[in-house]
Amino acid sequence: MSYAIQIEGLKKSYGDHIVLKGLNFHVEKGEIFALLGVNGAGKTTALEIIENLRRCEEGRIVVNGRVGIQLQSASLPDHIRPMEAVRLFAKWNRVEADPSMLAALGINELAKKQYIELSTGQKRRLHLALALLSDPDIVFLDEPTAGLDVEGRLSLHEQIRKLKAEGKTIVLASHDMAEVENLCDRIAILNDGAIVFIGTVEELTAKVGRRYKLRIETDQGEECYEADNIGDTMLALLENYKQKGVEVLDIKIDRGTLEQHFIDIARGNGE
Amino acid sequence: MSAFLYGVGLQWKLDIRSKSLLITCYVVPLLFFAVMGGIFTSVNPAAKDTLIQSMTVMGVSMGALIGLPPSLVEIYASDIKKAYKANGVPLYLGLVSMYLSAFIHLMIMSGIIYVTAPLVFDAALPEHPLFYFGMLAVFIAVSLGIGSVLGLAMKNQAKLTMVSQLIFLPSIMLSGIMFPVDLLPGLFRNLGNMVPATWGYRLMSDTSFTFGNLWPLAVILAAAVALCVILLNRLKSE
Repeated sequence: MSYAIQIEGLKKSYGDHIVLKGLNFHVEKGEIFALLGVNGAGKTTALEIIENLRRCEEGRIVVNGRVGIQLQSASLPDHIRPMEAVRLFAKWNRVEADPSMLAALGINELAKKQYIELSTGQKRRLHLALALLSDPDIVFLDEPTAGLDVEGRLSLHEQIRKLKAEGKTIVLASHDMAEVENLCDRIAILNDGAIVFIGTVEELTAKVGRRYKLRIETDQGEECYEADNIGDTMLALLENYKQKGVEVLDIKIDRGTLEQHFIDIARGNGE
Repeated sequence: MSAFLYGVGLQWKLDIRSKSLLITCYVVPLLFFAVMGGIFTSVNPAAKDTLIQSMTVMGVSMGALIGLPPSLVEIYASDIKKAYKANGVPLYLGLVSMYLSAFIHLMIMSGIIYVTAPLVFDAALPEHPLFYFGMLAVFIAVSLGIGSVLGLAMKNQAKLTMVSQLIFLPSIMLSGIMFPVDLLPGLFRNLGNMVPATWGYRLMSDTSFTFGNLWPLAVILAAAVALCVILLNRLKSE
């Protein structure tokens, strides 16, 4: 099977500081793949090398298909209007902007505004539209929902799912674990320039284990517990309260998020 | 070609929307012309003979050295550069489109001085208008070349302001537009010979073509173009 992206032995350093220590991974066609990592883990550097915006010292990068890029920190001239930017970028790429794509992202509604007047969410939508102008096979999204409100996030998630439904491959870098858990088929976790995990969310969970958080409200106050085996722990706690004559008013169970598992792995506690 | 022309046309519109370029290309030079034109001609009536040239040199120097570079820094020292790179827009577009747009704005500003100076201050028109505008075009091209180098080389606006002023002030004080160069001490006269404003002022004030006044500008322009190419390549590989 030919992959959308194949990376072998990718290395990069800035002076004495080694940022990437020989990455090896692939992205399958049509999947949503996420690069995760704490700040400074090397995910944006890796992404920008794959996007051909930055050079690497060593490694082999194969990208099969047209690429569209939405950068983490892209900007445009303050006084440009969204449709002017769309026309400028479309002309340089010798493509016609797809009206349905522009309508779906709400770019037409922004016609009279200048870039400086757009909200963060509107700017993200515009940069996504610019990335999609050439109808790319592979879309790179670096922190696509950073700085967006809940509504903006949900709207962008919907757009990303639509892109996947159209058969596009999506590679994203994110800090938002809930986003990754909801959207992605596979994830790679970068820590200190190396991949410490690659696989599905379920595989990550199986590797690290789920840790449950219990919050029990009684007539004497609230208490929190952590447990790997929720059934046994609950029974033991309830039995204990009963023996002491404490009345249990409410029980809340948090099954733990991917973020906790990610942090465990990134910090080397998951091995 | 259509993409390039669209880019230049768009830049022209953006410059009009951006108040800062309008201020440095029109408002300040024309205000300076309105005020200093009156003072120059009342203090020294002979100033009428070169008023158009001196006020134009001041206006062009201001637009090219103070107006253009910050707009370039806005593109090349910011995330706009990354957005261009990522979306297939060549890096030179920002420079070339801003250069051409500023060139037209400065020609218009110079034209306003050319038309109004005789009416308002009874200033003398250049003997050969075509020759004058030809030399004016050369001077604008060279001044914008220096402005381009500053805009590409500097990464931050505060440093840029300082460096721009370091070139702009000698251009005004030592080029002969404020007072005759002969009155300057030798050191300052030599310093004055290093700024294009001196040679531009001489070229535009001449009644006939003097190669000796043109070649320094040609050398400065060639050096500016070479530096712009080097700086653009450096920005590309960053």
